[in-house]
Amino acid sequence: MASPSPKSPEQSEKNKQYDRQLRLWGDHGQTALENGHICLINATALGTEILKSIVLPGVGAVTIVDDNIVSDEDIGSNFFLECSSKNLNRGSEALRLIIELNPAVQGYAVQEPTDQILLDNPDFFKKFSVVIATSLSEKTIQTLSNHLWEINVPFILCRSVGFLGSFRIQLKEHAIVESHPDNEQHDLRLDVPFQTLFDYLNSFDIDSLDLKDHGHIPWIVILYKAVQKWKISNSNRWPMSRKEKNEIKAIIDQYKRLDDNGMPIYEENFEEALRAVNTALTPTFLPVKIQELLYSSSAINLTKESSPFWIMCSALRTFVEAEGKGKLPVRGTLPDMTASTDHYVTLQNIYRNQAAIDSEIVYRKVQEIVTQLHCDHISESEVKLFCRHAHDLHLIKGSSIVGEYQFNNTVSSYIARFLEEPDVMMVHYILLRAAEMFRSEHCRAPGEWEPESDISKLKTCVSKLLTDISCTPFPKDDHIHEMCRYGGAEIHSVSAFLGGCVAHEAIKIVTKQYKPVNNTFIYDGASTNTATFTF
Amino acid sequence: MVARIAGVFDEKLTEAIANSKILVVGAGGIGCEILKNLVLTGFPQIEIIDLDTIDVSNLNRQFLFHKEHVGKSKAQVAKDSALSFNPNVNIVAHHDSVISNDYGVSYFKQFNIVMNALDNRVARNHVNRMCLAANVPLIETGTAGYAGQVELIKKGLTQCYECQPKAPQKTFPGCTIRNTPSEPIHCIVWAKHLFNQLFGEEDPDQDVSPDTEDPEAAGTAGKTALSSQQTESGNIERKSTRTWAAETNYNPEKLFTKLFGDDIKYLLSMENLWKKRRPPTPLSWDNLPGKGDAPKQHSGLPDQRVWSVNECAEVFAASCQALQTELKGRPEGDHLVWDKDDKSAMDFVTACANIRAYIFSIPLKSRFEVKSMAGNIIPAIATANAIVAGLAVLRAQGILKGEIESCTSVYLRPKVNHRGQLFVPERTLTAPNPKCYVCAPKPEVALVCNLKHLTLKDLTAAFKDGLNMQAPDATVEGKGLVVLSSEPGETDHNNQKTLEEIGLNDGCALLVDDFLQNYEVRVRLQQEDEENSWRLVTDTDAPMPGPKEEEPANGSNGAEEPKPGPSRTHHDSDSDMEIIDEDDNGEPMEKPPKRRRKEVSDEIVEIC
Repeated sequence: MASPSPKSPEQSEKNKQYDRQLRLWGDHGQTALENGHICLINATALGTEILKSIVLPGVGAVTIVDDNIVSDEDIGSNFFLECSSKNLNRGSEALRLIIELNPAVQGYAVQEPTDQILLDNPDFFKKFSVVIATSLSEKTIQTLSNHLWEINVPFILCRSVGFLGSFRIQLKEHAIVESHPDNEQHDLRLDVPFQTLFDYLNSFDIDSLDLKDHGHIPWIVILYKAVQKWKISNSNRWPMSRKEKNEIKAIIDQYKRLDDNGMPIYEENFEEALRAVNTALTPTFLPVKIQELLYSSSAINLTKESSPFWIMCSALRTFVEAEGKGKLPVRGTLPDMTASTDHYVTLQNIYRNQAAIDSEIVYRKVQEIVTQLHCDHISESEVKLFCRHAHDLHLIKGSSIVGEYQFNNTVSSYIARFLEEPDVMMVHYILLRAAEMFRSEHCRAPGEWEPESDISKLKTCVSKLLTDISCTPFPKDDHIHEMCRYGGAEIHSVSAFLGGCVAHEAIKIVTKQYKPVNNTFIYDGASTNTATFTF
Repeated sequence: MVARIAGVFDEKLTEAIANSKILVVGAGGIGCEILKNLVLTGFPQIEIIDLDTIDVSNLNRQFLFHKEHVGKSKAQVAKDSALSFNPNVNIVAHHDSVISNDYGVSYFKQFNIVMNALDNRVARNHVNRMCLAANVPLIETGTAGYAGQVELIKKGLTQCYECQPKAPQKTFPGCTIRNTPSEPIHCIVWAKHLFNQLFGEEDPDQDVSPDTEDPEAAGTAGKTALSSQQTESGNIERKSTRTWAAETNYNPEKLFTKLFGDDIKYLLSMENLWKKRRPPTPLSWDNLPGKGDAPKQHSGLPDQRVWSVNECAEVFAASCQALQTELKGRPEGDHLVWDKDDKSAMDFVTACANIRAYIFSIPLKSRFEVKSMAGNIIPAIATANAIVAGLAVLRAQGILKGEIESCTSVYLRPKVNHRGQLFVPERTLTAPNPKCYVCAPKPEVALVCNLKHLTLKDLTAAFKDGLNMQAPDATVEGKGLVVLSSEPGETDHNNQKTLEEIGLNDGCALLVDDFLQNYEVRVRLQQEDEENSWRLVTDTDAPMPGPKEEEPANGSNGAEEPKPGPSRTHHDSDSDMEIIDEDDNGEPMEKPPKRRRKEVSDEIVEIC
């Protein structure tokens, strides 16, 4: 006997290394991550903790922008600086040690101040998938966030002071194709079966099958047959109410075979059909949320600059209006069920083939648009993925950080509402903002030199902010005292915790999977309280 | 170090940190992060313990390890890496199992806080008991994918790890595995058993040949078949699979013919089994489906393509030979240990499981999926570990500051919940369960069994698997009669005697204790004629761990080994949490049906 040659696919080193995360976001998620380029401004302890959790899973590239020189305090709180780093550029040093974690990641360090880059070379930021910044001045925050808003680059602004931490995500427009909804509805089309499905469903005659085959009929067929029977005596309507659905259940019960004693034989597929009555009979429709997306002006008025998402939305709209007859493309997935392998595979192929036909049509429409507009190619697999998740597309239209800093009316009344309650987490937000204001006025953190005399200065900042949003001063000063005691120092565990959170969100944004926090997260390490706000 | 340079922490905390001694159990994903956080917060004395060595798949999150460290001790490398950025900390590393006589109650007593960063329930149970016995606060952590949790365990003040009995492992009855598989997992469990039968530690409970005792097959059909079958081929009679395989020199064709041809034909002869099921189709080596087909094109990773039966057979042959060579290279009497990260072992299980699945018309799986299911892989990412470890060290600070009351459990959710929370903290500490069979002042549990059938050997298993004891001693309450002794050999001669034979009857109570764990529990015996094995019952309604019938390989989520393997457990998750959202697996591949042709297996479960 000839010894057969081993053909087992050798798993690449890379896939072994990333095995545990591929199971979370898939190959295409990993590819998106590997095409990502993250910019970190300021390699503080928080900054490097964030970068660590993005470099480990294998982002494509990172750039650190930092013009600071490494101090003793930096070495004490930052894992990615060594004693020998002292007096060297902080960004370059941190980069060197972070890149050691994963040699596959490209790393760049830029030693210019952010303000200077914004003045000389604002296009610098265009290439990034996400820009993350820590310990920025009030003024830079506004210039930078304004610029990133205009060029539509996602921005995460982070703070870690003492026991307090926060991040704010600025997304002008962020489209999520794979939102991973909690309970995905199945797309079975029993109310409007397409031709191949119609033929298949009608090829069954439940009563004539022998017992073994009877127990292998997919529940979809059982349910369909029951509804057809019901429709005859109900003027061809579709069952909607609970009462009507119970009538369907009664019909299914009648299909069951009886044993010698006249008792119904337990058959799993019939039980599944009964369980599915409540969920699987929802009529096929175009969700309002998706309809709004397809008819939004971005999807209708395409330009050369339109993103692939809007081009695909536009193509999808024409599909829905024409071939789809008001419905989205068939999703093409089939739930688990008790059935013989033959039945299951046939049924699966029927749905899959229809899904392939539908997405092929959408793809052709996409190609037409691309040719017309002379814009970048969109791959077929991208369109496929888009069609499969067409029921759960999600668009985030965020708000700008500049608006938040200038306390426009919406923001002021929003904050005021929480302060009236009073919500201690919103108090922390005000304190973080006040500390930032203090820093821009006095060029140091509150409490860094003179904790006692800084208390009144910080109090002045808090009052200014509260006046801006027409709120009364805080009844007690304890939070102000606390902030001065921190002296602007970072607590490593708080930064480590927050670093994980920010990396978490950055990965969601880069992979365009899962909905990120919208849009502000505040953390109090002393009480382990967290809160999210939407400014 | 923040604790030294700034007045951020009040004096009390700064001093408490300076005088503290911390034990970190586990140097995996969370353990690395905790160690870094402790060192950078200024904790001066830390011990870290882990029995594992570094694997490539750890590198996506266990940042203290780099490529050149693969194969080395996790604890030692973690220590070295941490010392390189702060040489002033005193770190002691143990490359060892925490479940060992070297780490008794007095060892635990020297620490102010113990921090668990473990990946399996057995070790968690054990450390839980040690900390209760030593009265040291324990911070328990875990993550699974995007989710995670941190909780404090303190004797008398909070729930212990075992206050709420965890859901028992999903197990499969032997006859489902051996005779009537209906789901891919059944075939995978069978393939793992086959691996052990051929190359690993032989375990009579892991037989892979047809089970003639199957109550469902009762009737004459099977018996007549048995006699006729024996004359046709001599391989069916009870000869150890290993012996037989060795005699054939692990000839792949012969092995294949027996496992996937003769054994299946034999099963077919047990006609009762196939009255309501689709009967299996025996395969022959020379005529395999997919032979001569051009290799299929697949856009994804090669690992995610499903092999044809013919390809499976080729992989089967190649991996058999590779494993045989490996086995021969070992000293006489030694055996291989199945490891999902070992190429040949994983190939072998994928191939065998898929061939068997084909025979029983069960969907085939890709190697990637089989690995998930066979290895109980829980997705793990750097970010969640960083978050949980950050919280854990902040909790440690809270305890040292004397604010233990505020150290409530915190849960990290995979997404923001309806109240806008990503983190859900408990409002107050959860009080201990007064009826807990571990931490109650006088713990008690009922053992339901048939005293006429349960042997002392089974009783030992019940205490080890059910009560998670390492070396149980048992005496009869009020009489002082020693029933089980942890001293080797002392009560072995009674192993095969039933409980009734040694004079135990319904309602009598045993005092069972584990010296190492400093744990004693009163076990009431409860006679039940119908109970074929044993089960433990507490006054709470929650299910208790049951007998270990089969390997608990229940898919990719939330499971772990029931006991530490003979030489090592090989796990690669950072948790065994139950708060797992199955849908969080993303959609890396088409989700094929998990359960097709489920048939009426539910009925069998009860009978077996």
